[in-house]
Amino acid sequence: MSEPKRLHPIAVLLNIIKSIKELVIPFLLVVVIPGKNEGIPGWIQPLVIAIIILLIIGNAFLQWLRFTYRMEEGEFRIESGVFVRKKRYIKFDRIHSIDISEGIIQRIFSLVKLNIETAGGSQADAVLSAISKSDADRINAFISEEKNANNPFDKDKDEVADNEHEAKSSSVFKQTLPQLFVMAATSGAVGVFLSGAIAFISQFDEMIPFERIFKDYEDFIEMGTIILTLFALVALLVVYVLATLSMVIKYASFTVIKTDEEIIISRGLLEKRQLTIPTHKIQGIRIMENLIRKPLGLATVYIEYAGGSMEDKESLSIMLFPLIRKKHLHEKLLEILPVYETTTEMTPIPKRALSRYVFRKFLYLIPIICALVWFFRPWGYLSLLLVPLAIFWAYMQYRDAGWSIEGNLLLLSSRFFSKQTLIMQRSRIQSITYKKSWFQNRKELATISASIKSGITSRVGVVADVEEKDCLIIKSWYLPQKTVDSQ
Amino acid sequence: MEPENRISNKALTVWKISGLISCSITWIISIAVLVLTIIFDWTYWVFGALIMISIIQSYLAIILIPSVKWKRWRYEVRNTEIDIQSGIFVIKRTLIPMIRVQHVETKQGPLLRKYDLASVEISTAATLHVIPALDLTEADELRHYISRMASVEEEDV
Repeated sequence: MSEPKRLHPIAVLLNIIKSIKELVIPFLLVVVIPGKNEGIPGWIQPLVIAIIILLIIGNAFLQWLRFTYRMEEGEFRIESGVFVRKKRYIKFDRIHSIDISEGIIQRIFSLVKLNIETAGGSQADAVLSAISKSDADRINAFISEEKNANNPFDKDKDEVADNEHEAKSSSVFKQTLPQLFVMAATSGAVGVFLSGAIAFISQFDEMIPFERIFKDYEDFIEMGTIILTLFALVALLVVYVLATLSMVIKYASFTVIKTDEEIIISRGLLEKRQLTIPTHKIQGIRIMENLIRKPLGLATVYIEYAGGSMEDKESLSIMLFPLIRKKHLHEKLLEILPVYETTTEMTPIPKRALSRYVFRKFLYLIPIICALVWFFRPWGYLSLLLVPLAIFWAYMQYRDAGWSIEGNLLLLSSRFFSKQTLIMQRSRIQSITYKKSWFQNRKELATISASIKSGITSRVGVVADVEEKDCLIIKSWYLPQKTVDSQ
Repeated sequence: MEPENRISNKALTVWKISGLISCSITWIISIAVLVLTIIFDWTYWVFGALIMISIIQSYLAIILIPSVKWKRWRYEVRNTEIDIQSGIFVIKRTLIPMIRVQHVETKQGPLLRKYDLASVEISTAATLHVIPALDLTEADELRHYISRMASVEEEDV
């Protein structure tokens, strides 16, 4: 397979879509806004648009023409670029996973997108945006074969999800549709969606002549506010439903498959995605329980994983279980990642730490309340309601903070809004830090944090106001004894 | 038990100089405001406030912070781990096992070079730790030592 090959011609369409996505904003700036200018003759604007479109199509075509890939001398070689020629050679040994996904367009033409991931994030990965399934399988097989041939003793050899592999394995976790709806409905993503929608709607503020409407119907102005409130509520509901649905579509048919050395996560309704994660690259497990899910006994589990790239946000925080009952969590984890099986209870932080949690909230709150009361005299006093809220928040944080050591595992649990429990293997922790301020020192408390590698940066677990003695326990647990223990 | 090694004495001087540099910006602004105040007959309280800020900043950045920081800074490199203590108001202790160290480097800015100092940066797969100012020879030795110790064990991230 050493002759250079091109992508499927449908890649031209994908290129066009990609450049249109990138060009939307500048396009609007150039074409739509100066549209009001009177001086320019009317035919200029369509001409400019036509030229831009032609350029986009031409560029997409040239990009496709220039993009070739081949495999030779133990390297995957990609040459691309229209004006600037890029040659990207990736050694097979450096490849640690190959992901296959299908977007809507790829599915129509029964093609796949192949993503070759390398270890570091700094080195860009190779993306073949449209190739036939058989080609993808061939590449897969070829690379894994080559890798095995080169180093037969390497235990990380077959990192490729070949068919033989899948036959051996069975799916160990499946998210059912009703569960998925609960997950989507209780996810914070709604908030993100909402703020996006608000930003979007506010763009139309000037287009919809609210003021004129209401001036014409001054008698109904009171009615107007009611209608407006109703309208806002309905809009909110619609956004909420849309956000939920989009999450459901994104995570539909979520399946986790475990093989000997890797975990394969596939999901998606319109765009199918399949992520392959070599087990030995997993650095830790993160259990998140957000405000709504925690009271319901539900949790989300993420994999912290060394690898993935900057561009691919998806690979930076990988859901292992989008939604799982807390009581089933351990047994499921035992099936998939037995290393991270835990049973012990958390060691809570001491009672005297509570006052510090409250104090920390007040540190930020008092200036805010003072300012509000001072500047918005009568209504500003309402801000005093923040005080019990802050105390409650502090109490929740205090209650959910804790740590525990179990064999080779360190668990750190804390809460900002959501409760986060980070489970780390000793041999994966990069460094441990503990710090104490003057106030903490007086109370013999300290803040402990541990970092593991996650993606190209780090994930840090922090617990504030741990008993100082406990910090020393964690420290002596962490430091390698005379005999350095490997995993 | 605190880590036993201190950083170089000369670090104090370096920090004071860099404090001086950062303060001089505030002073220049204050003086500019004074000039403008005189020319345009502004009220003097803006200038007064700026002077107060400048004085406080100068005291903090040139006198107090460098000396507290220097007193607090300690490190110790043992066979199997690196132990670093730092902090001004918050005392911070960091432990890095030798086997986690990916690489070590020494760095010199113009100020550090003038005083024959260097900082040592220790990277793990996920974190970066800096010992800010050591004598050049000491820094070089430390770099050699750590990289030699670190290369003994090879492990996956």
